[in-house]
Amino acid sequence: MGYALDFGWLNGAIGMIASGAVMTVFLIVVTSIAGTLLSIFGAIGRRSRHAILRKLVAGYVELIRNTPFLVQLFFIFFGLPRFGIRLDPVTAAILAMTLNMAAYSTEIVGAGLDAVPKGQSEAAKALGLRPRTIFIKIILPQALKVIFPALTSQIVIMMLESAVVSQIAVRELTYEADMLQARTFRAFETYFVVTLVYLGLSIALRKLLYTAGRRSIAGGMA
Amino acid sequence: MTLKTTLKSTFAALLLLGSAGIGFMTSDARADAIDDITKAGVLNVGVFADFPPFSSASADMTLKGYDIDVAQALADSLKVKLKTVSVTGQNRIPYLTEHRVDLLMSVGYSKEREQVIDFAAAYAPYYIAVIGPKALEIKNKDDLAGKSIAVNRGTLEDTSLTAAAPASADVKRFDNYNSVIQAFISGQTQLMVVGNDVGAQVLSRQEALAPEQKFQLLTSPSHIALNKKEDRLKQAINDAVAKMLADGSLNKSSEAWLKTPLNPANLKD
Amino acid sequence: MIEFTFWDIARNLLLAARWTVLLSIVAFAGGAIFGVAILLARISKRKWLRRSAEYYIGLFQGTPLLMQLFLLFFGLPLLGFRIEAWTAAVLGLTLCASAFLAEIWRGGVQSLPSGQWDAGSSLGLHYVAQLRLIILPQAFAITRAPTVGFLVQLIKSTALTSIIGFEELVRTSNAINNATFEPFTVYGLVALIYFVLCYPLTRYTKKLELRAAQR
Repeated sequence: MGYALDFGWLNGAIGMIASGAVMTVFLIVVTSIAGTLLSIFGAIGRRSRHAILRKLVAGYVELIRNTPFLVQLFFIFFGLPRFGIRLDPVTAAILAMTLNMAAYSTEIVGAGLDAVPKGQSEAAKALGLRPRTIFIKIILPQALKVIFPALTSQIVIMMLESAVVSQIAVRELTYEADMLQARTFRAFETYFVVTLVYLGLSIALRKLLYTAGRRSIAGGMA
Repeated sequence: MTLKTTLKSTFAALLLLGSAGIGFMTSDARADAIDDITKAGVLNVGVFADFPPFSSASADMTLKGYDIDVAQALADSLKVKLKTVSVTGQNRIPYLTEHRVDLLMSVGYSKEREQVIDFAAAYAPYYIAVIGPKALEIKNKDDLAGKSIAVNRGTLEDTSLTAAAPASADVKRFDNYNSVIQAFISGQTQLMVVGNDVGAQVLSRQEALAPEQKFQLLTSPSHIALNKKEDRLKQAINDAVAKMLADGSLNKSSEAWLKTPLNPANLKD
Repeated sequence: MIEFTFWDIARNLLLAARWTVLLSIVAFAGGAIFGVAILLARISKRKWLRRSAEYYIGLFQGTPLLMQLFLLFFGLPLLGFRIEAWTAAVLGLTLCASAFLAEIWRGGVQSLPSGQWDAGSSLGLHYVAQLRLIILPQAFAITRAPTVGFLVQLIKSTALTSIIGFEELVRTSNAINNATFEPFTVYGLVALIYFVLCYPLTRYTKKLELRAAQR
């Protein structure tokens, strides 16, 4: 077996890998925030009095959850221009990721809202608080506290799925790996290193969200 | 069943899996590639699946085009069956060096590539061209500044564009020709860089966009690529291509797919 | 010029969908068998086994499936294994599925009250008999909903094998795209086919979840 692993290229490649990782982190930060916000609206819509709104949200959730992310991405990037909607790769990626994540977290947030005892909002209503204040100040913080672990997992899953946005030429971690690989002809070593970077990112992301979640949600807001 | 037997059977299953894997092992003391091919009765050729008019899907999903004609003729000359394996710009060199395929079609010559693979005869003219809509004025590479350009990463188009384009050009590199062409047609990029014949296929179908060839970046005939140190195979391929040139069958394919007679002068690097 | 009618597109996509279905079934079956082995290690009394299984699961849940596929596809040939896109796809999805299924089932095992184990041992059952007769059947029963839910994820994940060159639904759609230049129709149909495959399973998952909640 004449093959010897060669990591000699790595020195010159650290810059590319780092810039790819920065893009991956950027994508997931924007997506997490936008996706969580959207899913709060989704969960409210799902519990709306209006049947049309309920059906609409349910349809969106089912559509996204039952088709692959890659197909959604291709559809948004290559298919939507037919209606004059042209998004640059990064915007298309953020839109696809946000829509995808929100479909999953709509269910998660909804479960959290349902977990808050009814008595809470009734008590608040008795105190004369407006419905919106009750929702933002009382219900939502408690719901988020319950669902934070599930939300964290969903964010990590989304970060890992974001590897496929390299397919529409977003210059994130996988894209840079593909570029390096085409230049060095060292496919295995390149993907090995980048996989480790992903592993590091997902461990760090989980830790970060866990500590942040414990501090701000369990401590401060509730 | 005890835990021990469960573990034992799991272990046995793993061993089986492992030895099944070893069955796939290629011996490194390789016989000559040409002997392997004759023995297997199959010539594995790496081609693109989305590269009209050289190689693209037909209504029954078999690949058709100029490259396929040539690959078929090569298989015939070796008296074996042809098996096309669809590859991407990014994975095809590893495919060849790891012996998943015996040959690659549509490989342009470059010094970097020559370090890893070997080149047999050139068999098709290939001009790498910048293609864009009529409305956009592009005359030379300086005009590429600030434009978004789609290209297939890891191909000769990519390297020649990267070398020629000004720093402000926004080069978007995709995984395959399908994405490059779709990105251009859908207006996601202003320009694309592909072979002019590939472009011609797209041009003829897009009245609204009215794309046209802006200028040529590089003339680089397509070669058949093979692994290094396969001199007998290389000789056999070169002979087969020479024969196709001589008996006019290559010209016939050129007229059928590239819509122009073959000029042997265009096969020189 | 090669011409495609709408029916050519639909027919070829449906034919390609057979590979998506086959790959999903094989990977799910393989993942289930291998997943039980990982589960046994994960709940073993031996620390090193538990630890190894934990790392195995963490590795597959902490890295992108696309990278796992790339590593198998480009890595195994370096070890002398000649593998095709099909083999890499099956192997990659199987390993990944085994990690996820083991973790789902472990949740089931842990949710059982410890009395279940005690009851088993008071009956004089040995560890393996306890597992086989009492613990695992219950764990599988409790986790049926997430298990079916994971199958939906797995079917969707097969789309990634297009990137390493396996000729399933998405890869076929790319090839058709470049012969027809109608991405909206082609990707729309592809999405529809996945939806038809996944939606009944999703509905079934919901039903199982409801049933579990009512119990």
